[in-house]
Amino acid sequence: METCLPAVPSGRPAAGGRGARGRAVPPARAARHGDGGERAARMHPATAGTPRLPLPLPAAPGTELQAFRDYGESWYRSRKGLESRFQPREPLARQPQVTAEARCKLVSWLIPVHRHFGLSFEALCLTVNTLDRFLATTPVAADCFQLLGVTALLIASKQVEVHPPSVKELLALCCGAFSVQQLRNLECIVLLRLGFDLSAPTISFFLEHFSQVRLQAQGADAAEAADARILAGGIAELSLADYAFIGYTPSLLAAGSLGLADRLLGHRCPLDLRISGYPEELLRDCMEQLQLLVSLNGQSLPLLLPPEVVQKCPWLRGGR
Amino acid sequence: MKQFLSLHPPPCLPKGTLIARGCMRDAAERSCVHGDAQEAAAKSRYSLCLLGTEEEGGFPMAPEHPCLLSLSFHQSSALGSLSFLFVPRPGSRLLWAPCASASAPSLGRTSLSSAVTRCIHALLLRPSLQDVSKRLSLPMDIRLPPEFLQKLQMESPEFPKPLSRMSRRASLSDIGFGKLETYVKLDKLGEGTYATVFKGRSKLTENLVALKEIRLEHEEGAPCTAIREVSLLKNLKHANIVTLHDIIHTERSLTLVFEYLDNDLKQYLDNCGNLMSVHNVKIFMFQLLRGLAYCHGRKILHRDLKPQNLLINERGELKLADFGLARAKSVPTKTYSNEVVTLWYRPPDVLLGSTEYSTPIDMWGVGCIHYEMVTGRPMFPGSTVKEELHLIFRLLGTPTEETWPGITSNEEFKAYNFTQYRAQPLINHAPRLDSEGIDLLMNLLLYRAKGRISAEAALRHPYFKSLGERVHLLPDNASIFSLKEIQLQKDPGYRGSAFQQSGRTGEKHGPLPRGAMGALGLISVGPT
Repeated sequence: METCLPAVPSGRPAAGGRGARGRAVPPARAARHGDGGERAARMHPATAGTPRLPLPLPAAPGTELQAFRDYGESWYRSRKGLESRFQPREPLARQPQVTAEARCKLVSWLIPVHRHFGLSFEALCLTVNTLDRFLATTPVAADCFQLLGVTALLIASKQVEVHPPSVKELLALCCGAFSVQQLRNLECIVLLRLGFDLSAPTISFFLEHFSQVRLQAQGADAAEAADARILAGGIAELSLADYAFIGYTPSLLAAGSLGLADRLLGHRCPLDLRISGYPEELLRDCMEQLQLLVSLNGQSLPLLLPPEVVQKCPWLRGGR
Repeated sequence: MKQFLSLHPPPCLPKGTLIARGCMRDAAERSCVHGDAQEAAAKSRYSLCLLGTEEEGGFPMAPEHPCLLSLSFHQSSALGSLSFLFVPRPGSRLLWAPCASASAPSLGRTSLSSAVTRCIHALLLRPSLQDVSKRLSLPMDIRLPPEFLQKLQMESPEFPKPLSRMSRRASLSDIGFGKLETYVKLDKLGEGTYATVFKGRSKLTENLVALKEIRLEHEEGAPCTAIREVSLLKNLKHANIVTLHDIIHTERSLTLVFEYLDNDLKQYLDNCGNLMSVHNVKIFMFQLLRGLAYCHGRKILHRDLKPQNLLINERGELKLADFGLARAKSVPTKTYSNEVVTLWYRPPDVLLGSTEYSTPIDMWGVGCIHYEMVTGRPMFPGSTVKEELHLIFRLLGTPTEETWPGITSNEEFKAYNFTQYRAQPLINHAPRLDSEGIDLLMNLLLYRAKGRISAEAALRHPYFKSLGERVHLLPDNASIFSLKEIQLQKDPGYRGSAFQQSGRTGEKHGPLPRGAMGALGLISVGPT
């Protein structure tokens, strides 16, 4: 009976513990941010033919910058206006089998998987949003929870990626536990349950927006903005996996992550969080929650970041 | 439990789940137990699910599991039993201790609601362990170790697996079936690899509709184009964007129900002998920019603007269609029907391999369409990338460091080794366009993508001043023709309704109207 239970590590250590299976991790620097895709592709003959380079780090090329000047405010308003419609409402409240821990485990698995395929953070955010909103509509058995995860990833990739991973590749990662037909059926069910409402506003969008606004300000420090954006991305990625953040809107998490990133990096001109429009206490609460999350994952977080940024953060470099 | 989604009956419940089952003697006791359970749950870290009665099949899981508490009540009852399920509240870090069943009071046959309540209280309201110590922590091996795939595969069994590969076909009976009957299929308008388009009529409204049937039986599941098109259109409500009325799902296909418009811009130009009134050109341009400004304001790019994608109804309302290819980070190269996308409206930076796509990508196409409406012929009808670039440079001048900073170091550009052309005055090629129109056109057809005028700014261009001020105050869903000062003029080349009629019934264009076909990205089935 015990083996049939969903994989919920019951006694996982809290702060800075070891892996879920109590396994120490070798310090394999090479697989850090940036080359995960190629590396994994080399490991696996099936994907070797189609190396997917990770998308470049957020940059603000001229065209994009001009478009931001023209429309940035409007993008922000329209995305912000959609937030409440796309906010998952207690997705696990009526789930008989799926627990917060199972969700954590699934999302923690989807993070390296999305990196492996070189997918964007936007795609990951959409994946988790689709997953949560579907959970709010339909009870899901523990044994097809992983299938739901890859289905959500497939749908999100089809929305925003040039090369979505193939059904075959996704199923291979589940070691053949599910059939193509099952995935296609579930895809159909998810699309219909959600009524094709898939273009959710994402943390990724708001991180980009706030960073752009910051760059537009007078005397902006471009280097600080870029570093904060990267570290905040890592923090936001962690927050996706923790069910405690389910009630936080993407714009609040983006603002909180940037605020915390500025704090951790000891920046001289941090982002003025008032631009997010949230009251101070809400921002403070969000940042405290994120800070706790970061301190509990002090050893995993650096692995989500490029080494240069880790080096700049005394707190992370300390390897706490 | 009918809604329970599972590949097969699940073997057990996860830890942290508490089941209470009971047979109640009468309605009063039943509601009492239910009320108690609710109250107890409200004070605890669990939420309560009422799972229904035994008659409905009960709870399908094995209640003997040591992690679960099963309360059995065997008193006879006409009311049947009640099953409760307690699941940890969202955000609750409480883990159910496996010793739960051991601590459960033995209730036996004489149980009453008070016993249930006692039991629930004892179990649910136990002080939890410290929250923070249960705080979920990401696994340490979140980074990809060298043996990534093998590892994932080895460890993947930690996710519960179906016991048998036999899949229980998910029931879709409660979704969408029967709705297709609402629409009567009329002519087939076109067919492609992914979809077939029919003209149809709604029985509810008697309106004509375009029914786009998308086959779902592909190796990769639902086509990207369908997912993008539907999810984008659901958020776009604007008078100058084609309306998606309905989505109908059947087992093998997805039918999108669009409003039906008789013409597209290409056909409109044909019908008026490629000689449009310049006043009408302005009204069409304004509507095109209005629809586009709305999309761009939502960070949605069209990426495949062309006359065939601009639908026009009898009133002269112009609507953007075919968003299936939009929003991906690449420029589309294939349509639904696997046709190669035309290069005629594609900007030179993209032709030279730029991957920095943003809103200016659409503005170039707007310029080309403007020119085509005014002159009656496509601006740069190239059939290869090289020819396309050559046509552009011959008219607008071969780019220099001055007109296009950075171009001289572009490897692709250097490799083509184009002749040095000087820019020709556009007025010579579009003599019917006034000076403001020429100025707008020149601002749209700039080599530097970021210099191109935005759709929002273009609406304010002096070229549109003659339309009055009120056009800027329209709500999103209001047609420009709701203003009485905006009216189409008779196009000088228009050869009367008799011709248009015959054109539509197919003497000129084959047996089917081309409008909806082109706009929905499909190849024609009839001779064209």
